[in-house]
Amino acid sequence: MAENNNSRNIRGRVVQKGYKRPEFDEQYDTTLDDVDAVFNDSEEHHVTEKKEEEPVALNAFELISMSAGLNLGNLFDSEQEFKRETRFTSKCPPKEIVRKIEEAAKPLGFDVQKKNYKLRLEKVKAGRKGNLNVATEILQVAPSLHMVEVRKAKGDTLEFHKFYKNLSKTLKDIVWKSDDVQMQYAA
Amino acid sequence: MGCVSSKRFSRSAPAHEDPAVLASQTSFTVNEVEALYELYKKLSFSIVKDGLIHKEEFQLALFRNSKRANLFADRVFDLFDLKRNGVIDFEEFVRSLSVFHPKAHISEKTAFAFKLYDLRGTGYIEKEELRKMVLALLDESDLCLSDSTVETIVDNTFSQADSNGDGRIDPEEWEEFVKKNPATLRNMSLPYLQDITMSFPSFIMHSEASD
Repeated sequence: MAENNNSRNIRGRVVQKGYKRPEFDEQYDTTLDDVDAVFNDSEEHHVTEKKEEEPVALNAFELISMSAGLNLGNLFDSEQEFKRETRFTSKCPPKEIVRKIEEAAKPLGFDVQKKNYKLRLEKVKAGRKGNLNVATEILQVAPSLHMVEVRKAKGDTLEFHKFYKNLSKTLKDIVWKSDDVQMQYAA
Repeated sequence: MGCVSSKRFSRSAPAHEDPAVLASQTSFTVNEVEALYELYKKLSFSIVKDGLIHKEEFQLALFRNSKRANLFADRVFDLFDLKRNGVIDFEEFVRSLSVFHPKAHISEKTAFAFKLYDLRGTGYIEKEELRKMVLALLDESDLCLSDSTVETIVDNTFSQADSNGDGRIDPEEWEEFVKKNPATLRNMSLPYLQDITMSFPSFIMHSEASD
């Protein structure tokens, strides 16, 4: 893997004369390593090529499984005060959805890490049960329609609920349909 | 053990509803079965006060609306109603929910989901059934997609799953498909079932069972 003077490595970066690149597996970019650790996605370690990644497409059964009639957790709903996960659909292009979520989350005090169409939002300030950690993923229903799942990964559920209320106010413009009644009525 | 383990059962519980028996034959602990009974009582006395879960009570619990008809809720209800007598009793409730316990084996969840989606009970999931379910989901979510888009979604999934190309998904193909797409079974596990004893604190004070 030793680079020649001014040669280009797979990422297209020019390496300068005399520079000796650290020996590590070409597949791993240091910045993605941290993101990978956060996401625990061992199956996604592949060489990143110039080809644009697309959001993961939901298969028809995954789509069907989102029916309220198939989510028996609803039977226990009065016992669970706040949901830990919610979703909405958007007609916006997926890259724009990612951008908007990032733009909305940062002023709310969140650190944002992105990988393809997954985002990890971590609240900088610790809350009641540590730092609130939220995972979002954009999935394709159809080329013109995407679903955004927002799920609490760590932390206090009430804080997650408050965060989501704020987030949904900011994202109002890109939301098409939401499964969260409260979100639909967000001012 | 036996009926002595819980006062509230010794009066009225027949052997087949005994928490210890149910716990030994399902993914639940005795305490979890007893906690489930608290939930079951709420559901089974919500409209028809007979201690059995009727379809409308099931709908009320799922949708907050006893009159809401839903293809998928119908399928779940039918599968829970093991004796096929139109109501869900406590034993059926526990045995069926056991499949949704996070500890339940993936093969149980896979099989249950297959039966769920095999709308006509033919032993196969046909393309028309998949299309019908996708349309039902879109309708329920108030999402409007063109016919051709729906066809594309159905075709893509079907061609992935129907590996021998005979126009229907058999249980073996379903198993393979689910292995490759584990998110397909995500709704088949309810993490809450592991926390259920924490939600019924008044119960814990009465129970003499400890496990």
